[in-house]
Amino acid sequence: MSTRSTGWLLFAVLAAAAPLPAIGPFGGFVPAVHHLVLCAATAAVAVAEGTAGPVLPILGLLAVNAVAAFALCALAAWLLARALAPLPPRARAAIAGALCAALLAAAIAFPLYETPFGRNPTANLWGVLG
Amino acid sequence: MRALVAGLVAAALGANAGELPFARTESREPCAHYDPLRQPFFGDTHVHTGFSFDAWGQGTLAGPRDAYRFARGEATGMQPYGPDGRPQTRIQLRRPLDFAVVTDHSDLLGETQICQNPALLGYGSLVCRVVRRFPKLGYSLVNGYVYSSEHPTRYSFCGKDGAGCREAGRGPWREIQDAAEAYYDRSAACRFTTFVGYEWTGMPAGDNLHRNVIFRNAVAQAYPTTYIETPTPEGLWHALEAECLDAHNGCDVLAIPHNSNVSNGRMFTATRSDGAPLTADDARERARLETLVEVTQHKGDSECRGGAEDELCNYEKLTIPRMMDMASAGGRAPLPPNLYVREALGLGLVLGEQLGANPFRLGLIGSTDTHLAAPGMVDEDQFRGHAAGTVSARWGVPPYPDRPDFNPGGLAVLWAEENSRDALFDAMRRREAYGTSGPRITVRLFGGWSYPEDLCGDADFAQKGYAGGVPMGGDLPPAPGASFAQRAGGERRPSGLAAPRLAVWALRDPGTSGAPSAPLQRIQIVKGWARRGESHERVYDVAGDPHAGTDLDLATCTPAPGPAQLCRVWSDPDFDSAVPAFYYARVVENPSCRWNTWACNAHHVDCSRPGSVPGELRACCDASVPKSIQERAWTSPIWYTPPADRARIGR
Repeated sequence: MSTRSTGWLLFAVLAAAAPLPAIGPFGGFVPAVHHLVLCAATAAVAVAEGTAGPVLPILGLLAVNAVAAFALCALAAWLLARALAPLPPRARAAIAGALCAALLAAAIAFPLYETPFGRNPTANLWGVLG
Repeated sequence: MRALVAGLVAAALGANAGELPFARTESREPCAHYDPLRQPFFGDTHVHTGFSFDAWGQGTLAGPRDAYRFARGEATGMQPYGPDGRPQTRIQLRRPLDFAVVTDHSDLLGETQICQNPALLGYGSLVCRVVRRFPKLGYSLVNGYVYSSEHPTRYSFCGKDGAGCREAGRGPWREIQDAAEAYYDRSAACRFTTFVGYEWTGMPAGDNLHRNVIFRNAVAQAYPTTYIETPTPEGLWHALEAECLDAHNGCDVLAIPHNSNVSNGRMFTATRSDGAPLTADDARERARLETLVEVTQHKGDSECRGGAEDELCNYEKLTIPRMMDMASAGGRAPLPPNLYVREALGLGLVLGEQLGANPFRLGLIGSTDTHLAAPGMVDEDQFRGHAAGTVSARWGVPPYPDRPDFNPGGLAVLWAEENSRDALFDAMRRREAYGTSGPRITVRLFGGWSYPEDLCGDADFAQKGYAGGVPMGGDLPPAPGASFAQRAGGERRPSGLAAPRLAVWALRDPGTSGAPSAPLQRIQIVKGWARRGESHERVYDVAGDPHAGTDLDLATCTPAPGPAQLCRVWSDPDFDSAVPAFYYARVVENPSCRWNTWACNAHHVDCSRPGSVPGELRACCDASVPKSIQERAWTSPIWYTPPADRARIGR
């Protein structure tokens, strides 16, 4: 596995499963993908129904959250990939795969996420993405 | 002598022998407990249930019938709800209320139904999907979209002209009326009274202009007026006149503004919504419909401006000028003028002189604004949160139940002959009403010209109070010997009238065996007057001791001892008969524990070991959050109108 592929793999898994704090008054810890979903849902409502009241500020806040969350995932993936770069490809793939598997397993097994917008106060990966 | 006084009282109250002093507009048994000298009835005129979008959006499923059961003293359930739909928590009042009004938001009444009922068209709409999948996001988006917009519209799923949502709102509106009927005690016992009501939820640009609309009897509007279709207060008043007062079908109605403290100064203005100056007709229309104002509730105190000379105004103050600012982290935005009721009363005097009609002749009440369908849950140690702000009770009440600057709200108290709709409604209309911050303090206030100094010791205090003047909410009668010839060469001159006398009496809340209330500390008279187009105010301590009873044990929440009752016949030492004025009484208890102290004590928070304090209880150790509170009651004012003005307005 190339360093670039390792970075992309780590980025994808971190974006899907790493609990990241939400900036602003709503709080919570959810994956970057969830930040994006919230932003997309709000954007869809804004497009379909208009932006009266605080819709635009909320959309802006969620967009900032989504961008920040993905940027954080990208930075973390890049740093990890750089750290693994000196290793032989097989070892690099094994360690990266293990890290990803561990994060995904923990995210499925435990309620890692605080979901202020969701139907439950905390959730595991299925709960937050479902 | 006693018979003579009783006769005078009957005359003052407008009653002949065998004739009620209020119009009976409904069919019901007469109340067995009828008192011509009136009794205080404690209630809550501001209650939301699961029919309100913001309450449902935070997990409240209890309906109007649950709210009325709760108000009557029965235990009811609240969120969180289990997988079987059963509530996981039970709540119950220590003492039942005498009356309550469910005032769900008229706006979004239908949308709330559509988004939770798969059988209704619109259930699968994008907005409803977002609301169900991300309740808090949906709550923020939808509330703001509808309530905070300058030009509110309905969502596209409501269909052409919003007809689908209006149609869906008819069911809950019917149920609100049916629940009020079902729980209204029409028997001679008169244990509990309900009113049909709703809340008009106008909040242009985030400035709160909300009104609770309360109907006298079972005759109400066919559909409640909404901010969406009627986006100005003037529009609301016109609708209430056209669809109720002038409908000649027995309908009668009042509107009660609330939370002027977050209105950005737009609740009480000298202009109409379109910017045109108020006319005398505008003022009269407003005064006809808005006889009361909610001076306290969950979202803070609206009596007077904190930081003023009156130190007791630094009480339950929000530091934000607009309702919408609650969503932000807070701050110290400058507070515009006319945010508070006392300022409005003063502005009303000024406008009264200019227009010949005072638009802000407002009596004072308190209520809760509960969004848990829990009317009257005002005890500090029982606070479960507002449930429609930034702190959610969806998954259960947090250990620190709400924002530090919110509070459990207050009660409305009405002096009425009996506990029936007509008697209570008349009390609201004549402003013989007062508000408390929660305790059931009893207060009488009379204004006249000749009350004797020893009236306080008189067993016939109330009888003589009515016979010699007017109760709270009234206009001082003309002074003996008052002349209308007060103007000379354009200048006003004092007439040399004797000063009015106010007789005020307060009795502490007896509390309950497990939850005693605090003793009284003092009674104050708050006076406002207008001179040369400007309003002024002054506060007088008239009974009790402002320095007494301040020792509060925060660990046990035991207040200091003090008097059970206070009374005084007070004469205004600064009276000027040529200027209009108002007087109201403020009764203050000894300090007691605020809700946050109860909550922090219950969780054994030790601020000397910061590491041991959980994050959700960190506010317990915030020195800027008051630990104690001086609970209080505010009476409705008594107004004085100079003889010259009386002549001018034909009073």
